[in-house]
Amino acid sequence: MSGRRYPGMSPDERTFFTPYSAFDIPQDLREFGGRYDVEAMARRVRNFRYAEEWAMMMVGGWIATIPEVPVKTGLGKIAWECAQAADALGKRLPELRAGRNLNVASESANEGFAQFMQAVAAPEEPEETIEKLVGLFGVLKPHLLDAYEDNGLHTDQITDAPTIELLEDVARRTRRHIAWGKEVLEHLCDTDAKRERARKHEAALRAKLSACGGVTGERG
Amino acid sequence: MKRFLQHHELARDSRFIRQNAITDVMAQLPDDVDTVVNAFENLDPMIAAGVKGGPLEPIYEAYGPGFGLSILNEPLRPDEEFAELRLRVRMHGIFMGELQALEGAGRTLWDFPDAPWEFKMNMARQCWDESRHVQIFEKLLTHAGGAVGDFPENTFLFEAACADDPVLRVAGVNRALEGLACDVFRDMINYAEKKGDEVMKQAVDYVLADELTHVRFGSEWVREFTKDDPERFEAAKKFQRQVDKRFSVGGTRSSRTDAVIPIAVEDRKEAGFTEQEISELATISAEGPSRATLRKAAEILRERHLARRAQARRDENAA
Repeated sequence: MSGRRYPGMSPDERTFFTPYSAFDIPQDLREFGGRYDVEAMARRVRNFRYAEEWAMMMVGGWIATIPEVPVKTGLGKIAWECAQAADALGKRLPELRAGRNLNVASESANEGFAQFMQAVAAPEEPEETIEKLVGLFGVLKPHLLDAYEDNGLHTDQITDAPTIELLEDVARRTRRHIAWGKEVLEHLCDTDAKRERARKHEAALRAKLSACGGVTGERG
Repeated sequence: MKRFLQHHELARDSRFIRQNAITDVMAQLPDDVDTVVNAFENLDPMIAAGVKGGPLEPIYEAYGPGFGLSILNEPLRPDEEFAELRLRVRMHGIFMGELQALEGAGRTLWDFPDAPWEFKMNMARQCWDESRHVQIFEKLLTHAGGAVGDFPENTFLFEAACADDPVLRVAGVNRALEGLACDVFRDMINYAEKKGDEVMKQAVDYVLADELTHVRFGSEWVREFTKDDPERFEAAKKFQRQVDKRFSVGGTRSSRTDAVIPIAVEDRKEAGFTEQEISELATISAEGPSRATLRKAAEILRERHLARRAQARRDENAA
């Protein structure tokens, strides 16, 4: 191998290294062209953070109202993971030119979604563990998982990579929360009457969620 | 969901019963045999109901309503007759305390939606820690031959977590009660070491490490919430002292030479308590009846209890 190792001043003083594009090694198939600009993404992150923050608070509040000890302890961990999700989303906001004050970083997409979250949080009696878990693990979290995955598919794969990676991590934990919740619900809904209770509550919440357009207010 | 839940609203499955009066009475007793005897005579029906069908019923039958003053209220030493029972009672009490600490931290998240974000992060983290502690002590309870629901629950811990000011919650729970946890867990680690129980020693050692973190959360947030507000700071200090006094259970946890649970001075220092605070705690917790007084009262209570039982048998035979 001979030739220049460092470029000189004239065209015939180039180095001998073969040129590669930044996207050739390894081959990068991502393309520009996300659906959301910086401002829109910041708004979505604030919406996601709102959902995670309120999920954390309602789960925390429910622990004392649930008689089943393993459900209490399971929710204790989920409260912390929702908090971590909200925290990570809040830390993304200054990177999207959207302020540094984490206390005001959460924002509901619209009044309807805020009311939906209050409806999910509403069951408070000890007999209502099924309603609590159905709202969180049967409606809210599956919806958030869809929204995070959908966001990952439609945002700019190159310029918005930090949001994608952040939401991939949140989604991974959300999938685990849903699987846990489903297993607990299968155990708790051990009669037709209880399964019917769960189904009715889920349908009512899904209607509210659909009416407000979901966490970002964009889905009918 | 409403905010500010009361302690009697804590949801429990069918294994649990509640008894709050005994710890409350113990915290207020003077160093006087007659007063202790009278107090426990009054509590007798409630104590009898609380032990019915459980592992303490035979002890109650043999020793009367004062069994908690002598049989259970002695230091944990592996070679003593009732050491295993004492250990299970204490583990059950800790299990209940961890459960209420989980519930308290969770309610703080719900009750104060506008609290600073970092405060909410700390409380959420505490939820996870307390969840693990509940699981750990459920397993340790089984390890020690006991089971959840063997003994009555008291809800004093959650009562300290019900205040409508978050600074009182962290002063009462994170500083007073998590401080008490440092004392109790160090004592249990010492017990496990003496007994050669590596499982218990290591598990409790990890829990103790978490408790130091929770005390630090408390210290930081008392400071933050009360900066430029001396009145609020004084209220927090006063509340912490009240909780400290109540949970010293008449000197059971203190720096007295006859204390059942000594104050874990080194762990408390590591958690951020000052020398002055530790010295104040020693003063607050030293009040209350001596072990000699409690033993004497327990003896009298036992004699009266056995006399009542003998009389009942005579009446039954006569009938």
